[in-house]
Amino acid sequence: MFLKNGCNLVHGSSRLSNWTNHACFIIPEYVNRKIVEKGTKKQKEQAWRNLVLTEQLRGRRLVTGLMSSMFSVSNRLDRTIFDAKNSENLPGTLVRREGGKTKGGTTVTEAYDYSGLTYNFFRDVFNRNSIDTRGMKLDSTVHYGEDYNNAFWNGTQMVYGDGDGDIFQRFTKSIDVIGHELSHGVTQYEAALEYEGQAGALNESFSDVFGSLVKQYALKQKTDKADWLIGGGLFTSKVEGIALRSMKDPGTAYNDPTIGKDPQPGHMKDFVNTTNDNGGVHINSGIPNRAFYLTAKELGGYAWEKAGKIWYITLTERLRERSNFQQAANSTYEVAGTLFCKDSREQKAIKNAWHQVGVKVRK
Amino acid sequence: MRITVERGGGLAGIQFSNDIDASDLPSALLRTAKKIMHERKASPLKVSPRGSADHYIYKISIQDGTKTSVIECNQYNIEADLKSLVKYIEKNSKNRK
Repeated sequence: MFLKNGCNLVHGSSRLSNWTNHACFIIPEYVNRKIVEKGTKKQKEQAWRNLVLTEQLRGRRLVTGLMSSMFSVSNRLDRTIFDAKNSENLPGTLVRREGGKTKGGTTVTEAYDYSGLTYNFFRDVFNRNSIDTRGMKLDSTVHYGEDYNNAFWNGTQMVYGDGDGDIFQRFTKSIDVIGHELSHGVTQYEAALEYEGQAGALNESFSDVFGSLVKQYALKQKTDKADWLIGGGLFTSKVEGIALRSMKDPGTAYNDPTIGKDPQPGHMKDFVNTTNDNGGVHINSGIPNRAFYLTAKELGGYAWEKAGKIWYITLTERLRERSNFQQAANSTYEVAGTLFCKDSREQKAIKNAWHQVGVKVRK
Repeated sequence: MRITVERGGGLAGIQFSNDIDASDLPSALLRTAKKIMHERKASPLKVSPRGSADHYIYKISIQDGTKTSVIECNQYNIEADLKSLVKYIEKNSKNRK
């Protein structure tokens, strides 16, 4: 369905504009810019998406300042929590707005509080204005589906299941999971890493990295005090496991008769070639996850201050849709050289970390 | 006829597999399974909304004698009749996971 002529369906009137494999630019860029200036709120949003997509597919970076000047940018946190009431209809019934009274129980409170902490992390540490740098509203839906064992980012909002109570507990329980899902949104608006193969594993890894950093920042934990787990406490007591993933020791998060053993590798020699899971995006992410952990461990202190900054700049300024582990390694090394100077302790730490996971930095 | 549902992806990335014998299906779902077996030659495209992540991916295999039909889709493009079949199998499989 990918149309090579790059000119076919009209955006705005077609659902196809929302799908990854369709690149359609029949509306010229200047028209989209006009719509962003003059259109209704809905038209502006669609035109903005078209511009973002166009920029990403052409391999150019967003000129955020220029775009932002076209229409209003919010500079405040704006959260909305919806309740799907165990249906699979999105967004569901509105239960809490920004600044509204606490209601809806623990799940609503967790979705509200932890998305706020994630917003604060990106604002305070990276001077980032929400997911899209323009103050995008943070919409979350809780109580999605029946016994739903998942949380996901659907391209516009976060969605959380309650778990089945047998394997999983509610997915809002873990702050790093909420940070993980929101970080998928950041990736969407930045490198837009494809959700397949090594690019997909990098997409997952960046969400794990920032998810873990959101938790560490909220708890003011230094590298040696952090648990480096993703989804710690999500499993019920019936499951033999401590989390979904371990960034420190990939492959050790669980080993259970029902769900099996954590399949994550921590080194390229164990890279898993598979067609499952979009080419193992949640499996091979263990490799870049460990590279980040090893860098942070080597540098010590607060992981978001150096390692986190290097990874953030790499995501926002260096990587592209189809970047792979090698390109991520080279880019983090380059960024460390720019931020902390060539042959600095930071740059050496990056090189050593990637080397320990089987990726030799080529510079 | 035996039907197997493999569900992967999701935030956890854990693969779950459930199966059921066609004789244990309600008649409406059995019709759905037979329809899939005979009418659907190709798997739906595995497209998903731009930027989305951590969604479920499904692989439904229907084995009848020596013939096996396989449908792969995800939570965004799974068709309603197929979704009903998947939900039933996941809930009623004897080796439920």
